[in-house]
Order: sequence, then structure tokens, then C-alpha cells
Amino acid sequence: MFKRLRSLFRVLTRRREFEDGMTEELRFHIEQYTDDLVRSGVSPEKAARLARNELGSLTNIKGDCREAFGVHLFDELRRQLTYAARLLRKTPGFTATALLTLAVCFGANLTIFAVIDSVLLRPLPFPEPARLVTIFNTYPKAGVDRDGSSLTNYYERRGHIPAFVSLSIYRYGTEIIGEPGSTERQPTMRVSPDFFSTLGLGPAIGRTFTDEETTSDTDQVAILSDTFWRQQCNADPHVLGKQIRLNSVPRTVIGVLPPGFRFLSSDARLFLPLASRPEDRTPRDRHSGGNVIQMIARLAPGATLEQAQSQLDAQNAALEVDDPQAKMIADAGFRSLIVPLHADHVAAIRPTLLLLEAGVLVLLLIGTVNLVNLLLIRANGRVKELAVRLALGASHGYIVSETLVETTLLTLAGGILGLAVSASGIHLLRELGADRLPLGSRIAFDARLALAGLAAAVVLGIVLTAPIAWFNLRRHLGNALQSESRGGTSSRAAQILRHGFIVSQIALAFMLLAGAGLLAVSLQRVMAVSPGFQSDHVLTGQILLPWANYPAAARLTFVQSLLDKTARIPGVLSAGVVDNVPFSGKTGKSAATVRGYIVPPGESVRGHYSYGVSGDYFRAMGFSLHAGRFLTTDDSLPSAGVCVVDEDFARHYWPKGSAIGQQLWDGSEERKDTEAFTIVGVVGGVKQAGLTEDEAQGAVYYPYAWRIGDSFYVAVRTSLPPESLGLALQKVVRQIDPNIPITDLQSMDTRITESLAARRSPALLSGLFSGIALLLTAIGTYGVLSYAVAQRRREIGVRMALGAQPRQIRIQFLSLSLRLLTAGTLLGLIGAWQAGRAMNTVLFHVQPLNLPILATAACVMGIVCFAACLLPSQRAARVSPMEALTEQ
Amino acid sequence: MAKTADLLPGTLDMLILKAVSLKPLHGYGVLLRIRQISRDAIEIPQGSLYPALYRLEHHDLIAAEWGQSENNRRAKFYTLTAAGRRRLRDETAGWNRLATAIAAALNTTSEEV
Repeated sequence: MFKRLRSLFRVLTRRREFEDGMTEELRFHIEQYTDDLVRSGVSPEKAARLARNELGSLTNIKGDCREAFGVHLFDELRRQLTYAARLLRKTPGFTATALLTLAVCFGANLTIFAVIDSVLLRPLPFPEPARLVTIFNTYPKAGVDRDGSSLTNYYERRGHIPAFVSLSIYRYGTEIIGEPGSTERQPTMRVSPDFFSTLGLGPAIGRTFTDEETTSDTDQVAILSDTFWRQQCNADPHVLGKQIRLNSVPRTVIGVLPPGFRFLSSDARLFLPLASRPEDRTPRDRHSGGNVIQMIARLAPGATLEQAQSQLDAQNAALEVDDPQAKMIADAGFRSLIVPLHADHVAAIRPTLLLLEAGVLVLLLIGTVNLVNLLLIRANGRVKELAVRLALGASHGYIVSETLVETTLLTLAGGILGLAVSASGIHLLRELGADRLPLGSRIAFDARLALAGLAAAVVLGIVLTAPIAWFNLRRHLGNALQSESRGGTSSRAAQILRHGFIVSQIALAFMLLAGAGLLAVSLQRVMAVSPGFQSDHVLTGQILLPWANYPAAARLTFVQSLLDKTARIPGVLSAGVVDNVPFSGKTGKSAATVRGYIVPPGESVRGHYSYGVSGDYFRAMGFSLHAGRFLTTDDSLPSAGVCVVDEDFARHYWPKGSAIGQQLWDGSEERKDTEAFTIVGVVGGVKQAGLTEDEAQGAVYYPYAWRIGDSFYVAVRTSLPPESLGLALQKVVRQIDPNIPITDLQSMDTRITESLAARRSPALLSGLFSGIALLLTAIGTYGVLSYAVAQRRREIGVRMALGAQPRQIRIQFLSLSLRLLTAGTLLGLIGAWQAGRAMNTVLFHVQPLNLPILATAACVMGIVCFAACLLPSQRAARVSPMEALTEQ
Repeated sequence: MAKTADLLPGTLDMLILKAVSLKPLHGYGVLLRIRQISRDAIEIPQGSLYPALYRLEHHDLIAAEWGQSENNRRAKFYTLTAAGRRRLRDETAGWNRLATAIAAALNTTSEEV
């Protein structure tokens, strides 16, 4: 088979040679035969004639030879292609409309498919990725759905769950890298030694971490990413054993990862051991995950997720037996869940992507219906020609193949244009922030996509051929020669088909329009939610202080001097620091224990957002004060023993009384009186995780010294545009320590806007899709109605000659379009209702059946269809009876 | 294209393969060789010879190469390929089986039934 294809290919590429060879071979035959005949005594003239006659028609023989080689099919194809191209050129209006429709529909579909493919379909770039899982602790009844895993979990589990071959933990971070004076902050990952073996992909050169390197004093080693190795080390092949400075401490390079190594969406440049002290791994810290450390594991060959889950449940149950907090943990609904790694990573974005995919598929459907309609009208215009050709002996197979070639040529050209559209579509998606989606950096215009696009174009060509070929061959010859000509009227079946298509188009476009409306209103409602503070005119930035140079006391000094210097920058109204700013993406919660509060039976301890603040943080962020006072710089030391809670917290614990003067402890148990915090103020509730956060979590603001972390954020309220203060703020930080950069400099408004990207882009895209759908529907309606008018010119002429008024004719056509519109909209209503229900998970405070949205969609649909019908109706009303009746 | 009654369907390919298996031949040579080896009993219709040659070449049973004819003219010579040799062997065996069977059938007398 392969050989045969190769010989065919050889002939096709050297077609000329094939033809010449054939001619020469046949001529040789005739001459030899003639010579033999002459030798046997026949006269030369007679011999030549005999030889030629005996061989038969050269044209036939050559045709048979070509057929024997399979070449004739390609000749036929070329002839049909030329014919199809000529036909398409003859009707530029039709061709342009069809190509544009195809380009837009294919473009939109390929663009969304590129996203779906990179995010949902393509497996993670590790061996046997389906066996990778992630494990996290959940305390649903305490309002903590996801709390990562703790160090204790890791040390208790590894090697003890037979369903896992390997189990490891990691945490994301950033470190200051480089020599003093030229430091940079780089994203990093801290991982346990078995991280790479769990993934099944380790360093290209060097080794992975050892268990000895996971204690805090012996962890001075690093594994480089390929990018870091190339950019910072000039791809030095002898880099192993060399040292790089990390947070001003030298670390030895022990390995370099292969190019393209990428864990989920992380762009970590360096990998460090996840080091800890033995006292952080005790059962006491089993539930102190705080969503910082995450756990992954690889299932053993043949082991199922269910087996692993039941083994893990059994281990958890056994461990909790002698836990003093066992009851509280159980009340909180504690469980450790195992879920597939890839699915878990993209779970949040999946419904939105599927929704968009459904949207573009509807768009493609509308476009296809449009094309069928246009092609049917076109085929109708060629009925006579076809009938004549069939009568003259053209085979049905030939007519079908001709239709197939023409349609496929059209869809293929449209597909190529669609590829160009999708290339810019993908670019547009990048601008909209698609590369910040989970696995979004994999979104690209590549050969895989191009191939998918061309294949889809061919398939669509074949699909479109079916109705057209059916239409072409359906009628009896005699019939066709008479009906559907100028003199007759359009056949009933064809008319019903065309009108059915228009109705379905209107219904589909209406669905898209209503869906886009739901998303837009939903986005509007989200944007109307108050984050709990005044987000305008606030600039925030993150500062990471290395522990080596900055022990706890030095951190407080740094913060104080930063606050003092920042307050002196011109234009600064107030400044404060916080360990975790709202909308930072970090949403860890922790427990607080209120003195004298007894958890009601059936309920559990709640997780709250906990912050450490210093300076004038509340004024800088613009929090409203509901009672008492804000924390001030004087309260910064933990010994002051005061804190501020938000209204949600106050309402939860003291629904009737006042929170002021009450006392609480940080953590899930009562401690010494000296460690208690007295509430001195109640502020507005905060949305830490995003505007759509519906559950009031409650927040506690402790003095900063109580919650010193690796990094903190500085928040500055200014009278100027907030971004303009960035440089000044950077300078202040460099003045205090030239090695400390300030990063993630963003105004609060920007943070909020970015947090909405996952809602805004779908709303924008669906708006775009429904706009295109409207345009396509308008084109379709216009085309069909114009055709109907042209078809019935004669009838209109007769009626006008008999006294009908132009107004009546116009109304007749407008009422036809009104009927189509009504039917389409009614169908669309049902569709929109169903679509709304399917969209419920991505909607925010909008009912799937929203009357104002549906009414608006119906109005828009009506206006567009009416506009599309106006021109053809006018044309019908202007038909001159004389011309219509005399023309043939 | 006229079909001769004295040439059973499917036997043309077999005869061409046989002719070419003896010695590389050009198209006209194939015609003469078949006439010769069948002792003038089989006359190939000239019109069907070349399509058959092209089909066999396309199926890789024979290979074609340009060379010099006996009277120094440029001509296309056909030789048997390995696949063609296998095919010829199979077809010959098949044909012999069939011929024996048919002969046996035709020679059956009423007593043997």
C-alpha cells in the first residue's frame, strides 16, 4: 500500500515524464509492429495503418494506463477544482460572505480550542501523569475548604500509604538572589527530597536533595531550572558545586533541571529543600497547614484513587485517637482529600472554559446553518444547468463529487483564513491575561492546532455537501427543467427548509445573546460589591526580608523606619504595613478562641482571616470604623495585648452585644491570660479572597509583632495617582537596605481588577461571540428574504398589475420575517433558559431566567432582524409590474 | 475495449508475468513472447496490453527501465520484481490446481457418480 502511494506520488510529481514515456512507448510499439508487417510483405502504407488500427484508440489506451496508475483521479480532481474556483470567482458576493463567515467561526472555535487543549486536554508534562494526585486537608464546617497539608502530615504519611509509590510536599516562594548591589527577586519552590521522583522527572545533571538536607541548618543547596542556568550561569557545564547567593547566604548548586521542566503553572527558577526543624513535625502541628504547604503523590501501579483514599482515611482515624484536639477537629468535619493533580489544578477555570466552548460551538452552528442556506440558494440557481447535464448523461456520482470539491474548497479556504484569525485571537487572549490561567502559558498557535483546524475544515466541507448534493439530485429531470425557473414558484419543501434554518439561527443567536447578557450582568454585580475598604488611591507592594540578616527585632526596626520615611514622601496621606494584603491570592485562615465563648453543639471552631498590622494600616486602606478605635503604632508590640476585629467577626460571636473589651487568643485553644488580646475596635468586613466571596469569614487584626512572617506588604494612601508613587517607595526601601527590593507594586484597584479577569474575559468574549452571531443571523435573514423576493417577482408583478398596493407587498414580506422572528425567539427563550441553568455555577447573584436580560435580547434580535428584512421588502414593493411580467 | 473470448479473465496478468520472468522485455516483445510460448494459440488484444503492464508496474509486480532495443531504439523494458515472482508462483500453482480439478470434473463418467 505504502509502495503504491509512493509510486503514485512519484508519477504525480513528474507528470510530464509519465506522459512523454507513455507516448514514446506506444509509438515504439507501432513502429516495431509496422516493421514486422513490412518484413512479412505488407506495403509500408498499409502496414502503418494496420498497426495503428490493431492497437486501437491511443487516447483510450492512455486513459486506461493512467487509470491503472491511479493518476486519472487527480486529473479529475484538478479539473473539478478549476471549475469550482471559476464558479466561486463568478459570484464574489457569495464567496466573500461564505469565506468571512467561515473565517470568523473557525477562528473563534480554534482560539477557544487552543485554550481548552492547553488547559484541560493536554496531559501534564511528566511520565504517566494520570497517576499524579494532590492531597489536602479540609475542615468544611469551620469554613476552611482547603488548608493544604502540614509538615507533620508529610512525615507521618510518607512510606505509610501503600497505594502511593511516592509522596512529597512543596511550597511556592520568592527569594532574593545575587551578589550585594545586584540582587533580584526570583520565584522559587521549596520541595521535599522525593518531589522529583514523585513527578518522575529529575535533574538533567547533578542529583536531587537528600533527607539530610531537610533540616534548617543543612539545607544550603539548590537545584537550578534550565532557564536560570542559561541566563544567570551562562549554561556553565561545570556549575555543579559552585555557589550562588540566596538571601545573602551562599548555597551550593547540586543539580540542573532539564529544559521545559515546569511544575503546573509555576515559573520557579530555583528549587530549594523544604527544610524544617524536628519540632515543627510533631503531632501538635498536624493541623497547622494554613494552605502554605501542598502535597502531591504518585499512585502505585494498579492502585486506585479510592484505595488510596480509604488507606489515608484509616491512617487519619488512627492518628486522631490520641489527639487532645480530636473532638474539635472532628467537629470541623476534617478530612484529607485525594484528587487528580491536573483536574484539581484547573478545576476553578473548567466550567468557564466549557461555557466558552459551548458558546463558540453555537457560533459555528449558526455559521454552518448560514452557509447551508446560502449554498442551497446558490444550488437552486443552478438547477436548470444541472438538469441539462444530468439529461446529457452526467453521473450522479460525478455531480456529488463536484459538489464535494466545491464545498470543501470553500471550507478549506475558510479554514486557512480561520487559522489566521485564531492566531490573532490567541494573541488577543494573551492580552486579556490568558497566560495567567492555570497552565495558560501552554496556550500557543502550533502545528497541532493548525492540523485540527484543517481537519475540521475538511469535515465541515463533507458535512455541508450532504444537503446540497441531496438537493441537487432530489428532483426528477423533467420537473427540474420547469419548476423553480423564473416562471414558476419556489418548491414548498425547499422553502420550508430555508425558513426552518432562519428560525433556528435566530434561536441560537438569541441563546448566545442572553448568555452573554447573564455574564455581563453577573460581572456588573460582582463589581458593585464593596471589598470592605476604599480601594482607590492606594499603592501596595511586597517586601521580603531574609531571616539571616533580619531576626525578629531587626524586622520591627525595618518596618518602623520604613513607615517613618514613607510618611515623609510628598503626597502620602497615610501608610501602614500588613503581613497579607487583601486580593494578594493568599487566603489562609486560622482559628481564634474567644474567651467565654462555647461552640454550640453541631457547630465547629471557625477559621478567620488573621492579619498582623502596624502603622496607620486601616486609614491607608480606607477601612470604615464601626466601633472603638483603630490600632496605632503604639499598639505594635504584642505586649500591648490589643487587637481589632471586623464586623463579620463581631456579629458572629456577639450578635447582640458589643465586641469592644472582649478578649481572644490566636489559635484554637485558650492560653495564658498574658497572651490574650483585648478587642479595641470593630472595622468593616474584608473580602480577602475576592469580591465573589459570599461567606462572611470574619477577620482579626493583631499587632504586627505578633504575626511576623517571611514578607510583609506596605500600603500607602496618596492624593496622587497611586502608581506614580512606586519609584519613591522603591527609593525609600533602598535607602534602608540597598539589597532589599520591593516587588508586586500594584494599586489596590489593579489588584481588584485583576481578580476579576476570570470573569471579565468570558463576559467580553461571549459578548463578542453574540455580536458575530447577530451579524451572521442578519446576513442569513437578508439572504433568504432577498432570494424570496427575487423568486416571486413575477407573482408580485401580477398582483400589482391587478391592483395590489406597494404597502401591501411590503407588509407581506415584513410579516413573514416577523413570523420567523417570533418563532425563533420563542425557541431561543427555551434554549436560553436551559443555557442559563447550565451556567449557574459561573453566575454571581443572577437568576438563570432574568426577564430584563431576555427582554433586551429579544429587542436587539428584533431590531437586527427587522433591519435585515427592510431592504428586501422595500425592493419587493418597488417591483414594476411591466418589467416583472415581460422579463424571462 | 474488446475482450477476446479465448483469454480467460485474470489470465492476462499471469501470462505477462510469465513472459517477463524469462527475460526482460519491452511491451511489443511481451506480445510476441506470449504468442511464441503459447505456440500461437493465444493472441493478446493489443489495446489491453499496456493498461495491464501499467497496472502491474503500479502494483510493484514488474519494474520498468528505459534501455536499447535489438535495433538500437530507445524502449521501455520490463523485469519481474521479487513480489512479481512470488505472485507468478502462486498464480501458476492456483491455475494448475484449478485446471486439474476442472479436467477431472469434465472427465467424469456416469459410472463414477
